[in-house]
Amino acid sequence: MITFEGLSENFRFLVLEVSGQLRATHEFMRAPTRELFDRITGRDDYIDNLKTIIENKCFSRIHTDNSLDRREIHRIRAIHTIAVNLERIADFCVNILGQMAHLSDPGRLRADEYDPIFAEIAASLNRIIPALEKEDLPAALAICRSEYELDRLYEAVFHRTLAEMSDGRSVHDRITTIFIFRYLERIGDSLLNVGEALIFSVLGEKIKIKQFEALQKTLSTSGFGDSLSDIDFRSIWGTRSGCRIGRVERVRNARSSTGDAEGGGAPGGLGSIYKQGNKKKILKERDNIARWSTLFPNLVPEIFGYHEDDDSAALLVEFLQGCTLDEIVLTGDVEILQNAMFVLLQTLHEIWEKTATPGPVATDFMRQMRSRMEAVLQVHPGLRREGVDLCGAGALSTEQLIDRCEAIEKTLPAPFTVFIHGDFNVNNLVYDHARQAVRFIDLYRSRDCDYVQDISVFLVSNYRLPVFEPALRERIRWVMREFMLFATGVAAARGDATFQARLALALARSLYTSTRFELNHHFAKDMYLRSHYLMERIVAHRGPWENFRLPVEVLDCGCNAIMREETPCALAS
Amino acid sequence: MSSEEKFVFESLQDCESIRAFLEALTEGVGSKHLVLSSGGERIELYPQGLLQVEVKARRKGGSSKVSLKLEWKDAPRVETTDRTLSVSSN
Repeated sequence: MITFEGLSENFRFLVLEVSGQLRATHEFMRAPTRELFDRITGRDDYIDNLKTIIENKCFSRIHTDNSLDRREIHRIRAIHTIAVNLERIADFCVNILGQMAHLSDPGRLRADEYDPIFAEIAASLNRIIPALEKEDLPAALAICRSEYELDRLYEAVFHRTLAEMSDGRSVHDRITTIFIFRYLERIGDSLLNVGEALIFSVLGEKIKIKQFEALQKTLSTSGFGDSLSDIDFRSIWGTRSGCRIGRVERVRNARSSTGDAEGGGAPGGLGSIYKQGNKKKILKERDNIARWSTLFPNLVPEIFGYHEDDDSAALLVEFLQGCTLDEIVLTGDVEILQNAMFVLLQTLHEIWEKTATPGPVATDFMRQMRSRMEAVLQVHPGLRREGVDLCGAGALSTEQLIDRCEAIEKTLPAPFTVFIHGDFNVNNLVYDHARQAVRFIDLYRSRDCDYVQDISVFLVSNYRLPVFEPALRERIRWVMREFMLFATGVAAARGDATFQARLALALARSLYTSTRFELNHHFAKDMYLRSHYLMERIVAHRGPWENFRLPVEVLDCGCNAIMREETPCALAS
Repeated sequence: MSSEEKFVFESLQDCESIRAFLEALTEGVGSKHLVLSSGGERIELYPQGLLQVEVKARRKGGSSKVSLKLEWKDAPRVETTDRTLSVSSN
């Protein structure tokens, strides 16, 4: 427990004071007196002050003490959150007193209804200090769960009172009764915040009780055993898809239900990735991983566990050995980068060969672009243009370009589909140099689709790496060149005559929609202009689409010559 | 008081497509009437008399730039109303 400058004492006092207020309020409901009323309202100011003192100490400590480690900072933050919520609980007690004044007959409140509520709240308040001192996760969870119980108890009173109201008598008192119990229910909401703050103090992560329960269930179905104290759960990142992702490892030297001798491992040996979020997305990811595993064992992470509730789901998957490809592009040795690219292209070639299904199949690049336009404009309001007339020479507006391109896209179906990654971003590929293997992650968008979708996403994810140092930029260019060489080779080998036109549309989409992740306005504008240039070239094209040449200079990778070469690359032939 | 009218258009072009823009501008200068519009905004310019021309070119660190600037003073515009005659410059 933190012992500096009396913070822990202040905190203990606050818990005791609020517990006292709660008992007094309970007493007041049984037998309201003026004396008790004055005592409760008088103590409320003291509680307010105590909360302010704790708040000041928490902030000043975090600001002035550089020696605090992360654990201590988490604890101080938790104390602050708990203090704010305790003070709110005390306020609700005073509010209940205020409502009592409106009751013509205090006897109308039924002790058999409010006694269990007060007992539940008191039990939770009693758990706070031990939970904080002993970093007791089960106690923190019990506090969180008391909210469910309080909700349930409130609901019973609410429905009973509502039903009684239909006789039209004592409506005033009955409404007041509902108000009083509603304040007790709101105390449950504050207790939930208290419990979550305690979880934060123990785990060092902001995690909601629902997410925590999902994690717990997923872990227990995955061979981690029941003891959460054995688990180091850290690094939770919010992602663009809105899922929460964390890495889960068994704490070293902890007892291991799987008999893992190294102690660092889950069923997969290296820990796992825990992903929790929208049920539809997580379910889709699970199904896609299963399909990938059937087609290409070892290409995707193994699934250790899956759990779902009403609207969210959680997945525990293998943590893959190796580096993401963007790390290799930017920091790996040249030889390793060359190897990685070789393995990637071989892998892709194999996937495309095995999963190719004859089309034709419509693509929807322009629809994707339109649907993300709002998100782009939210970040960069200027990245759209009106139609322009420059002394008779015209330029179409962004919307006009998309409309025209969409009409053209309808005439350009893909001649075949392959099973695509779906978000073939350079950082969704993991390269394991030791095993000479490339593996895919983040697979909820996988589907049978035009391979051009993955090609354009991969190219643009390289292009938009925010690195401008010439030597590194040249490495990125090399990766794009190698990839283009391979892709055009595949297209030629498969007789895909409209490949370049479709790739122009797909690149226009990827360049434009990528700007929503790029806060460097200059770079975002560069991608926006390139995207519009591609659409203009598509719209301006006359003659058969087989003759359309992708202006590859938009990727600035020096591969202009590639597109003119007819020779398919060695891998594709 | 004169209010400022402005027109800005930025785009990426290749040498072929940029020719069309330059030719349209050249024609506008030849006819002493340039009309530039974007969305609801429109600006009309009337180059006349003596025009100051500035051509700048630069090559540095792998990027090149050439700019052409034409500048002139507009002739005072004569505006008539029902009863009065006023002369203004903008």
